[in-house]
Amino acid sequence: MTNTSVTPILELRLATKNYAGVPAIEEIDFSLTPGEIHAIVGENGAGKSTLTKVMAGVVNLSSGQMLINGEEVNPRTPSEALALGVAMVFQETSLVPTMTVAQNLFLGQERYFNRLRGIYIEAQQFMQSLQFDVDPTAVVSLLGAAKKQMVEIARAVLHNAKVIIFDEPTASLTPEEKKYFFDLVIALKARGVSVIFISHAIEEALQISDRITILRDGKRVVTDEKVNFDRSRIVQTMVGRDLSKTHYGQRKTTVRPQGKRVLSVQNLRMAAMVKNNSLSVFAGQITGVFGLVGSGRTETFKVVAGIIKRDFMHGGEVILNDKPVRYFVPAPAVRDGIAYVTEDRKLEGFFETKSIADNIYLGLLAKIRSARTFVSRKDADQSGEHWIKRLNIRAISKDVKAIELSGGNQQKVVIAKSLIQEPQLIIFDEPTRGVDVGAIAEIHQLINQLADEGKAVVVISSYLPEVMSLSDRILVQSMGKVVEEYSALDATEEKIMYAAIH
Amino acid sequence: MIDAIIKLKDRILGRGDAAITIPVFDGALKPNNLLEDAEIFASLDATQDLATDGKHLFVADGARVLRYEAATAHELHHFEQPVTALACLPDGGIAVALAGREVRIVGGTYDGTRWDAADGSAFNAVNAISVSSEGTLLVTDGSTEQPTNNWKNDLMGLGSTGRVFELTLRNGAIRTLATGMAYAFGACSVNGTTWVSESWRHRVMSVNAGERPTPVTDSLPGYPSRLFAASGGGVWLTCFILRTQLVEFVLREHPFRKRMIQEIEPQYWIAPALNSGNTFLEPMQGAHLKMMGVVKPWAPPRSYGLIIRLNEQGEILYSMHSRFDGKNHGVTAAVECQGHLYVLAKGRPTILRLSIADAERSLKI
Repeated sequence: MTNTSVTPILELRLATKNYAGVPAIEEIDFSLTPGEIHAIVGENGAGKSTLTKVMAGVVNLSSGQMLINGEEVNPRTPSEALALGVAMVFQETSLVPTMTVAQNLFLGQERYFNRLRGIYIEAQQFMQSLQFDVDPTAVVSLLGAAKKQMVEIARAVLHNAKVIIFDEPTASLTPEEKKYFFDLVIALKARGVSVIFISHAIEEALQISDRITILRDGKRVVTDEKVNFDRSRIVQTMVGRDLSKTHYGQRKTTVRPQGKRVLSVQNLRMAAMVKNNSLSVFAGQITGVFGLVGSGRTETFKVVAGIIKRDFMHGGEVILNDKPVRYFVPAPAVRDGIAYVTEDRKLEGFFETKSIADNIYLGLLAKIRSARTFVSRKDADQSGEHWIKRLNIRAISKDVKAIELSGGNQQKVVIAKSLIQEPQLIIFDEPTRGVDVGAIAEIHQLINQLADEGKAVVVISSYLPEVMSLSDRILVQSMGKVVEEYSALDATEEKIMYAAIH
Repeated sequence: MIDAIIKLKDRILGRGDAAITIPVFDGALKPNNLLEDAEIFASLDATQDLATDGKHLFVADGARVLRYEAATAHELHHFEQPVTALACLPDGGIAVALAGREVRIVGGTYDGTRWDAADGSAFNAVNAISVSSEGTLLVTDGSTEQPTNNWKNDLMGLGSTGRVFELTLRNGAIRTLATGMAYAFGACSVNGTTWVSESWRHRVMSVNAGERPTPVTDSLPGYPSRLFAASGGGVWLTCFILRTQLVEFVLREHPFRKRMIQEIEPQYWIAPALNSGNTFLEPMQGAHLKMMGVVKPWAPPRSYGLIIRLNEQGEILYSMHSRFDGKNHGVTAAVECQGHLYVLAKGRPTILRLSIADAERSLKI
C-alpha cells in the first residue's frame, strides 16, 4: 500500500499535450510514489500512451509541469528521461532488429573497447537472474514477440531505472511468462523501483497494482486505491457505456455451420517452426487458432499468405479453393483473396508517417495487378473516409498520420487496409493485442460480421477468452502442428490449455 | 518436354503430383466413434451391397438377395453367380449385377431385362447400381481390367479404366456417361445431375453425358465408394479405405510398386485393406506402433470405417467413424431406411444400424 504523504518520485501537474491543436491529454494530475505499482487503464485513445510518453521523454508537454523527486524537470528525449531514472518499455518493441539480444541490452552503455564474448556472458547471467529464457547471442529479428518483450523489460531493469513504465507488457506473453513477469514487477517494487503499468487486461491491473488511474478522452477520471475497484467499476468508468451486449469473454451457445472448404493445408513444413502441419478452414465460420508462443501458428498462416516460404523440398501443400497454390510474395495471395492482418502492426501493418487514408488506399493498390502511374487522390480520400466511418476509427481527420493514432485505432487502420481488398479468407493474427476493451468489442463485432457474410475467418490469439468467445471451431497448435480441434460448444479453457502444453 | 521437366522438378522437390500430402480429418470430418458404437444388425459372411425400397432393407449376400422384415431375413432370389451390386426399383423389382459382368432386372415391369456390354466392351466389374430421378439405372463399372474383388490390384496398378453408364429400362438403351475414371465406385442422382465416386482420385465427380466431369467434392482423406440419397437432400458417401502417406509414397515409387505386385501376396502389400490387425505379417504404417500394448487410435490406419454426409452442394455436413482401434471397417454401402442408417462394414463383416436422429443429436447438428 502506498503512503500519499511521501514525496512522489514522479509527478505531473495539469499536464496537457496537444496534437495539431487537439488535446491528447488535458490537465492531468498524476503522482507516483516510490515502490508503487500504478496501473493506468483507459479506453482506446484515452491518452494512456501519450501520458506515459511524456514521462519517458518521447513527447513533450504543451503545458503543465513534470516533477521528479519534487524538482521540476523537462526531459526532451528518452535518454534524458533515462538519466533522470525513468525508463519505458514500449508496447511495440523498440529494439534494433539486426543486433543480438546482448548488443541491444548494452546499447548506449558500451565501453570504448567491447568484447562480444564478455557481453554475451554478462547478458546471459543477467537474463538468467530474471528467469528469462532468451539466448543473448540470438539476433532480435529472429525472436518472437514475447521474447522481444522480455529483452525490452530486461533492458529497462539493466539501466537501473527508478521508474519503469510498461506499456501493455503482457499482451504477447504466455501465462507462464506472465507469472515470471509479475514476479519480476514485485521484485522491482521490493527494490524500491516504481512501476507504471498500462494494461487492457483489467484483471492484471487489479492483481498487481497498488493504485489505479483511469483515463477517458484524454482526461483523468479517477485515481484510487486498488481495493476500491472491481472489474465492473473499472469498465464502467473507462468506457462510460454499456458493454454487456458484447460477446467478449462469454461462452458461445451456438456455432455457425461449416461452409465450403476454402483452405486446406496439408503436411506443411517450414524450417523448425512448422512440422507436418495440416488443417482446414471453412467459409462462413471463424476458425480460432490457439497455441503458445513458438507453436508455429503465425508461421503457418504467413506461409499461406505468401509472407514467408515453406521448405524448398517436401514443404507440403497449401490448397486454396481446391487448387494448390505456392506464393513467393504476398501480392498474388492478396489477388487470390487472402488477407493477413499482422500481429506486429508497427513493423508490418502500416506506414507510420503516412495518413490513415493513404494507408488504407495502399491496401487496395496492393491488390491491383498492373502498376498505376497516377494514383487517384480522390479515391484515396473517399475510401479513407468510408473506412474511418465504417470501423469507427477515432481521429481528427483522414489525414492524420498513423503514428499519431492510439494502438486500437492503428489496428483498425490495419484491418481496413485488408478489408478494402475484399478478401475471401481473412487471417487475424492477435487482432486485439494492445487494444482497449471498447475497441476489442468493436473489432470482435467486425470479425463476427465478416463470418456472417460468408467469409472464411481465421483468428490467431494467445488470449483464451478471445478464442473461445469468437471461434466456431478451435484448433490448438503445439510444437509446429495442430494437435487438437474443438467445437466452440465443447471447448473449455482447461481442455485447450491441456492440448497446447502436452 | 516442358511437362517432363516440370514432373522431374516436382519429383525432386516433392511438389505438385509428387507431394505426398493427405488432407486432414478436421472440421466436419473430425473423428468420432459413432460407427464403432453402432448396433450390429446382422452378421453375414459374403455381403456385397445394400438397398432399400423405403420400407425394407435388401441385402446382396453371396449369390442370394435377402429382404429383411424387422430383423428377420427372407431369401428373395438365388442367382447362379455372386451379386456384386443391388438396387430396388420403384415398380417393386430389383436390379442386380452378377459377378460384375451382367446387370439384370428381376421382378417388376421389366423383369428379365439384361445388359452385359456397352460400346462393344463387356462389363467387367459392375460394383454399384442406383435409380436416377428419371427412372433410369446408373451403373458404375469399376475397371475393365480387374474384377470387383481385385480392387487392390487396380489401385496399385494405377488403373483408370472405370466407366459410368445410364441404362434405360423402357427400351434397354445404354448411354455412356464417363470413361477413363480411376475406379468408378458408386453413382447417385442429385438434383438432376449424376454424382460418381472416383475412388483412386479421392473425389466425387458430377458427370453428365456430353459434358466435362466436374468435381463435387475433392481431396477426400479416404477412397470414396457408394453413394446413397439422404432423406434431407444430399447423399451418404461411404469411404471403404483410407489414404495414408505410406501408401501414397508407394503409389509414386513405380519400380518398388511393380516389384511388390509381382513378388508379394496381395494381403501383405503396402496397400489399404478392408480390415487389419489379423496377422503380424501385415506391413507396419508410420507411427503404427504399440504403446503399452495398445495401438493408438491416431496411428495411420491400414483399414478404417467412414461415412460422410454430403449436402446438395457437395459440402461435408458431418461424418461417422470407426477409428484405427475399431472393428467396423471397410464400409462399402450405407442406405437410409425408416430413420435408420444401415451400414455394410465389409471388413468385419457385418451390417450395422444406427439412428440418424441420435447420431445428429450427439454431433449437435
